[in-house]
Amino acid sequence: MKGHYQNRIELLQGTLDLIILQTLQWGPQHGYGICQAIRANSGEVLQVDTGSLYPALHRLERQKWIGADWKVSENKQRVRVYRLTAKGKKQLLAERSRWAQLQEAIAGILSPAKGESEA
Amino acid sequence: MRFFGRRGRRDREIQEEIDRHLQMAEQAHIERGEAPEEVRHAARREFGNVDLVHEVTRSQWRGRWMEHLLQDIRFGARMLRRNPGFTLVAVMTLALGIGANTAVFSIVNAVLLRPLPFPHADRIYQVGRTGNRIGGSSISLPIFLAWQDEENVFEHLALIRWSGPETLTGAGEPLQVRSLSVSTELFPALGVQPALGRAFLPDEGKPGGPRVLMLGEGFWQSHFGADPKVLGRTLTVDGELFTVVGVLSRDFELPIPGARDIQAWFPVQLPALSHNPSNEALCVGLLKPGITPAQAEAALTPLLADLSRQFPKMIGAQERAHLVRLRDFVSHRAGSAPLLLLGAVAFLLLIVCANVANLLLARAAVRKREMAIRAAIGAGRGRIIRQLLTESILLALLGGLMGVMVCYFCFDFVVSLVPASLLRVGMVRIDIAVLAASFLVSLLTGAVFGLVPALDAARQDLNLSLKEAARPSSTAGRGWLRSALVVSEVALALVLLMGAALLVESFARLLRVQPGFDSSHLLTFQVALPTKQYDSPDKRSLLFKRATQGFSALPGAEQVGLANVLPLRGGPDLLFNIVGGTRSISQETALDADYRIISPGYFSVLRIALLHGRGFKDTDDHASQAVAVINRTMAESFWPGMDPIGHQIWIGKPMGPSWTEPMPREIVGVVEDIREGSLAEPPDATMYIPYTQAPQTDVAFFLVRTTGDPAAFVPSIRSALKNVDAALPLSSVTTMEEVVAASLGDWRFRTTLLAIFGGIALFIATIGVYGLVSYSVTQRTHEMGIRAALGAKPGGLLRLVIVQGVKLAGTGVLIGMVAALALTRLMTGLLYGTKSTDPWTFAGVAILLVLVTVAACYFPARRAARVDPVVALRYE
Repeated sequence: MKGHYQNRIELLQGTLDLIILQTLQWGPQHGYGICQAIRANSGEVLQVDTGSLYPALHRLERQKWIGADWKVSENKQRVRVYRLTAKGKKQLLAERSRWAQLQEAIAGILSPAKGESEA
Repeated sequence: MRFFGRRGRRDREIQEEIDRHLQMAEQAHIERGEAPEEVRHAARREFGNVDLVHEVTRSQWRGRWMEHLLQDIRFGARMLRRNPGFTLVAVMTLALGIGANTAVFSIVNAVLLRPLPFPHADRIYQVGRTGNRIGGSSISLPIFLAWQDEENVFEHLALIRWSGPETLTGAGEPLQVRSLSVSTELFPALGVQPALGRAFLPDEGKPGGPRVLMLGEGFWQSHFGADPKVLGRTLTVDGELFTVVGVLSRDFELPIPGARDIQAWFPVQLPALSHNPSNEALCVGLLKPGITPAQAEAALTPLLADLSRQFPKMIGAQERAHLVRLRDFVSHRAGSAPLLLLGAVAFLLLIVCANVANLLLARAAVRKREMAIRAAIGAGRGRIIRQLLTESILLALLGGLMGVMVCYFCFDFVVSLVPASLLRVGMVRIDIAVLAASFLVSLLTGAVFGLVPALDAARQDLNLSLKEAARPSSTAGRGWLRSALVVSEVALALVLLMGAALLVESFARLLRVQPGFDSSHLLTFQVALPTKQYDSPDKRSLLFKRATQGFSALPGAEQVGLANVLPLRGGPDLLFNIVGGTRSISQETALDADYRIISPGYFSVLRIALLHGRGFKDTDDHASQAVAVINRTMAESFWPGMDPIGHQIWIGKPMGPSWTEPMPREIVGVVEDIREGSLAEPPDATMYIPYTQAPQTDVAFFLVRTTGDPAAFVPSIRSALKNVDAALPLSSVTTMEEVVAASLGDWRFRTTLLAIFGGIALFIATIGVYGLVSYSVTQRTHEMGIRAALGAKPGGLLRLVIVQGVKLAGTGVLIGMVAALALTRLMTGLLYGTKSTDPWTFAGVAILLVLVTVAACYFPARRAARVDPVVALRYE
């Protein structure tokens, strides 16, 4: 249903959206900047493939979760800058709680004893 | 264009974004102190395949629309399959509407609306006169010659002369061919080129010029095997040699009366001067660009006045030139029947649209709950609208497709109904533009009436409709719209049925009209004598007499007669004087009567009763006293209360010397009236004269009464004629019963079509009523259950539902009656012996409609009456 995108980023399904939305929460950013931010904030662990990032950005833009504007950079060049929309903020909250649930569930599976004692 | 522009912009933006990304990456590498020449390569490597990223990113913006559409279509098709009743009714309704609409409109278009298929059709005019005594559009040769000299008005001015059937030899058996003589200017005026060979040359239109002819394509194929070598061949026509110079395409039809399926075209050889007074030609001209018809009339009228001074008996001083656009000349003759059919088609289409709209509204109401659930699980408003819209358009497309098939299959039938008397423009084919338009109308209906419930569904309050839909007991919402649609369907159907009923009534009355003669067992055919060979009245009379004797001698032939024209086909009428008339007749009242040349056997073969005096005898010839027999109408109108026998009339006397017979005729008998023009017209005054005293007669229709089947008698007739003169062709062979049937062609055409339309309309309106009542019974199952539980009897429930149906039908019938009263008045000219407000017809149609709708309500009503309260209350 989502064409090439789906095939390419199966692993990150859903997660990349969350990461992008989360990154944009700190302020508008261009594609390259988002790339760098994810790398830096994950302690250089996560390296986002541009082949996944740009399709994701445009898909989120189409869903109106993020907006895009052309801004002029310091060296007088047009840069496409993404920002979080109100709808995107709501989505971010929903994705975060989903992520939390998922995390909990996976944690429970990985270490059942610990999960039970915590409950 | 804009679509591509936008797409280009999106592509450029993505490219720019990627470029910027690469630049930033390069900058980062440089800042880390790497060598500038390697930086570029490194940035690219990190980024990956630029084109692929571009493409995948781009694809985020497309594809979804198409995918949704396919999804919608799949889902829509499934919905239609799952409700075969609904689908069948909707598709059939649409198919009937579109099919009938296209077939009829194609024909009306050809007869009435389509421009003439000539290059300068807007400048082609029929040029005639007003204010003349005989009336009509035809002119005489002197007038044409005078007008032809006026050079500033017309680019081409052409003359068309109806010539009698010509006898053609040189192509197998001697043949009688339908021919037309036209001046050489005709083809340049119309801008028509022959399909093969060439048109006439100017020299061929001069006296003594080469004798040539052109063939019609159909005739060329049937009698010359479509051989292109026919060009240059010589054929014998009426004893003279003619060379074939061209073949005219089948598609070329001269849109004037009597010019259909012409087999041979001859050039008129125009003399420099003529005193021929007979108005036997039609004039057609191509105006010069910029000249108005009024300017042309102003230029031609003085020439007419000059002629009038020269020939005062032939042309009246008050006569004026009059131009009619050839297109209007054609459509004027088609009369109001095409308009009636057009109106009927429009009504039918309206009914179809109302019915489809109604069905869609009903579907939407039933699916309210489904829509609510879809909305609840997150379908966007736009998505729901699109889904419903796709479904209804799918339905409309299916209906349109079926309609094309219906049209295709019934087209030949409808065309076969078109009577020969209707002039047409070019060939009648299924009109692609009309088909497309009908298709579009059906699509539009689907879109509009699919949209109304779709918008409704998208707008509704989720909670409310979920609750409401869970209890299907309320009939609120679009109920009024649905009732209004059904009421208007019934009203429209009533108007259509009323029109159909009035026509059927007229037709039935016409069929009961006694033509005044006995048409059973009567064979009729035409024999035309070539003037070269039969050049004297004596020779012609002798031939007719010998032929009559030959036919009479055949075993199985009871009586034989002949006449210049057959009854019910119309024919010439002439003015006459009453010699020494006792009645003083004012100058204005023309003494006018139909003029029929007959043989002595004519009255007996047609079984026309002799009222008084005697019929003709073989002894009435050019040597004896000139005689005439008149019919009852003529006797009663010109000799009221008197015995006309022994009185004398002078035929043609008031029309000038060239028309006047050499001597007066004595009236020797009075016969009963017969219908001469058509069954719908009252009998005209008619005078009969014996062919032996009519020297000009060279064409005759024979009538042979046979003991057996008249059609089986043709071979004997053929051999009998061969015995008299082997070179004479037999043509227009038919039976008198067919002549009577053909005379009703117009009536049969519109009556059959309107009756079919009325039937379809009744059917569709019935479906409409049934659908609405049936739907409301389903919706009210709960209520019915409560009523039943509280003690309502099945009969009461039955009545409840039927009353609802009758209310709908009754309202529709009342509205329809008012509309019909206003509209059927326009049909007055198309009716016979029936008033457009005939109370019996009105009452009959109204009762029929109400009865049919009650019957349609019966089935859902029975369902309501059988509701089991326990089941119904648990139904939720």
